[in-house]
Amino acid sequence: MELSDSVQKGLQSIADPSLFDLKSFTVLIDIAFRSLLSAHADHGILADPVLEHIERVLVKQCHAAATTCILEMVKQNADKSTISSCLEDLPFDAERIEIFFKSYQNHKEELEGVLASLGSQLPHINDVSWRLQYHMKNGHVHKVNEPFYLLSLNVENGGLEGSAKDINFSCTVEQLQDLVGKMKDAAKSLEKATQM
Amino acid sequence: MEEVDKILIHALRQSGTDVAEDIQSVKQFTSELIVEAVVRCVRVINPALGGGLSPSLPPGMSARFRVGMGLAQACQDLGYKGEIGYQTFLYSNEPEIRSLLMFLVEKLPRESAEASDQPAGKSVVLQRAIAAKIKAQLALPWLPPNCRLPLLCKTQSAGPSLSFRAQPLSLPYSTKSTGKAASKELRAYQREVLLPVTAQPSHQGAVVASLLEQHASELSAAQEWDSEWNSQGLLSRLTPEEYRSRKMTRLHKRIEEQLRSATSEPSPESSSGVPGSSSDLAQLLLSFQGSAPGDHLLPKGTHFTHTQKFTFTQDPGVLVEQMAAVASSMPLGGQSEGEVQASQQAELASLEEQLQQVALRIDRLTDHMKQMNLTVAQVTNELKDRELGNQEKEDTMQVKKQTVDLLPDAENNLAKLQMLVEASAKRVVSLAAQWEKHRAPLIDEHRRLKELCTNQDMESSRQLSEIKDLHEKIRESAEKAKKKETFYKQLISELENLPKDVSRSAYTLRILEIVGNIKKQKEEITKILSDTKELQKEINNLTGKLDRTFAVTDELVFKDAKKDESVRKSYKYLAALHENCNQLIQTIEDTGTILREIRDLEEQIETESGNKTVANLERILEDNKAIRAENLALASKVREG
Repeated sequence: MELSDSVQKGLQSIADPSLFDLKSFTVLIDIAFRSLLSAHADHGILADPVLEHIERVLVKQCHAAATTCILEMVKQNADKSTISSCLEDLPFDAERIEIFFKSYQNHKEELEGVLASLGSQLPHINDVSWRLQYHMKNGHVHKVNEPFYLLSLNVENGGLEGSAKDINFSCTVEQLQDLVGKMKDAAKSLEKATQM
Repeated sequence: MEEVDKILIHALRQSGTDVAEDIQSVKQFTSELIVEAVVRCVRVINPALGGGLSPSLPPGMSARFRVGMGLAQACQDLGYKGEIGYQTFLYSNEPEIRSLLMFLVEKLPRESAEASDQPAGKSVVLQRAIAAKIKAQLALPWLPPNCRLPLLCKTQSAGPSLSFRAQPLSLPYSTKSTGKAASKELRAYQREVLLPVTAQPSHQGAVVASLLEQHASELSAAQEWDSEWNSQGLLSRLTPEEYRSRKMTRLHKRIEEQLRSATSEPSPESSSGVPGSSSDLAQLLLSFQGSAPGDHLLPKGTHFTHTQKFTFTQDPGVLVEQMAAVASSMPLGGQSEGEVQASQQAELASLEEQLQQVALRIDRLTDHMKQMNLTVAQVTNELKDRELGNQEKEDTMQVKKQTVDLLPDAENNLAKLQMLVEASAKRVVSLAAQWEKHRAPLIDEHRRLKELCTNQDMESSRQLSEIKDLHEKIRESAEKAKKKETFYKQLISELENLPKDVSRSAYTLRILEIVGNIKKQKEEITKILSDTKELQKEINNLTGKLDRTFAVTDELVFKDAKKDESVRKSYKYLAALHENCNQLIQTIEDTGTILREIRDLEEQIETESGNKTVANLERILEDNKAIRAENLALASKVREG
């Protein structure tokens, strides 16, 4: 796992027992996880009485480094061996690694959720209803005589509201067959992807 | 043999043969089972070869025979050296089948081992993980949104999603990394005002994106610097700071040049009334982009230049309009609309005229000013030239004046002058000598230093190349280490995933036991061998002794026998005794060989009886009968047909 110089410097300060004793270390790590997960920006999140005696700039710097490092770890789905080998280089002692890993495990799923919610998502199809109609004639042609389908896809939108809404469209028989074929293809390729 | 059979049966089960649970050894294998096992193994080893073989024995005797022949041929094609034919499969005997199966099983696992030996790349591991995830998710049933448990919610509904919008973050350590002491104000700002990074973005959703973005940009900047430093920086033989500052000055210079060239170019717009700043800026930007600035404005500029142009060009017109509106609105009383408009028009026209006049006048005045400036510069130059000329003339005048002063007492002064000249010449000579004296060591010193310099240059270039090599090596080894580490991890995970049904340790223990047994047996064999040798030696000794004693006795008795009749008799007895003893020994030896032969034959009988010969013979007879019946049936069919 690659970390930039500034992050490494911050983590080194965190690992230094002369700067952060074990209690303030625990508090700082806790704050780092909380600040990533809280829904509202808390300006005073670093104003903890335990961290009061430490230099403000240093605390801010270490907080930034810790949050970045945590995000990178979650992004790469790091397991225990990766984390400990990464932190040992910095050099964290075993106790601190244990503390860090414990809170990492506690918050990993939530953080994964946060990371997964980044980016755009396509709506999920929940249901479909259809109706067959017969087209007899139109304004230009006297005799059309073609069946066509009205489809209504009930989708669960992955958008901001998470609301369900419908997508309506009409298509001819060939188009519907094409659509069904494409969907079957998609399902098949999904199956294929599982058989690696 | 039990161990071997267990391993064989396990391997056969893995290759897809359906070996029943109660079969524990090769002895219990039926013909059908043997054929199936061999066919499956051949199929795994060589699919092309095994494709044409059917794993089940047909009922017809001749078809069975053909299957047996095909299988034997296939095994020989695979490289089986032992004796093999249809009889091996149809009328099996244990040792032959065992050796054949061992050969096949030995050929089996190697291929799969080779396949797993190749280090699967990172992407393969990732793809496998993805496949496993998809499989797990496919296994879950779909539930309508209202019935979902929180666990399902994560995979089946996307939930609200945010777009990846990063915002610049201000980090407190950005000043520290430059090495300069931050100013007091900056420190104070960072201490008191600067928010923690997670509170900096305007909305909470951007926190994660901003942090990731910040980190990625830092990493890529570091990487770029690294590659630049390795490719160019090292060659410049500067410290990183020096290199950075030099690059900075270079960039500064370039920017300055660009600015200067851009401002010195006459702007076509500046002569008109419109302020030329926007076009200047546009051209500046254009020259930065490296394309030649045309006479016209940019056909397309950045958004920024467009807005600039827009606001600047619009300004005067808007101003005039506004002014006109204000001016005309003042005197308005109860006048009618038309009059108001007319007066406004007139006013506007007159004001515009005035404006144009003023602009014209300004232009004229600017031109005039430019001319004046030019003349002023010319005049200043002229003045300087004149002053310089004046100075020169004054100098010459002074020299001449001195000469004129010296003229009246010419003789004396000449002599004095000569003295002076001589003295100064002498001084020059002495000075030259002194200079020479100083010069030589200085030149030597110079040469020495130069040499030293070149040496150092060479040394440094050598070191530079070494450093480069080292860098390369470091990178390579780091890469190797990384690769090995991932490989190691992968192997560990594979090891964890491997089936645990074959207890390795038990096998190794057994192998060790067997090896120990073999060692013991070997020792015994050597002991027996040495015993035999000793015995042989003893026998040889005894024979020799016997021969010698017989010869001596024979001689003695023969000598006496010539004189004495009774001795002659005894000699005869002696000869008979010797012969009889020889015969006895011969008989004993013969008995030994016969015993050995008997033992050999017994062993042969045992192996033959182990080969189920009787049963096989009976089966052969039966099969022969069956074939005959088949042949008869076929013949009758032919006759009927």
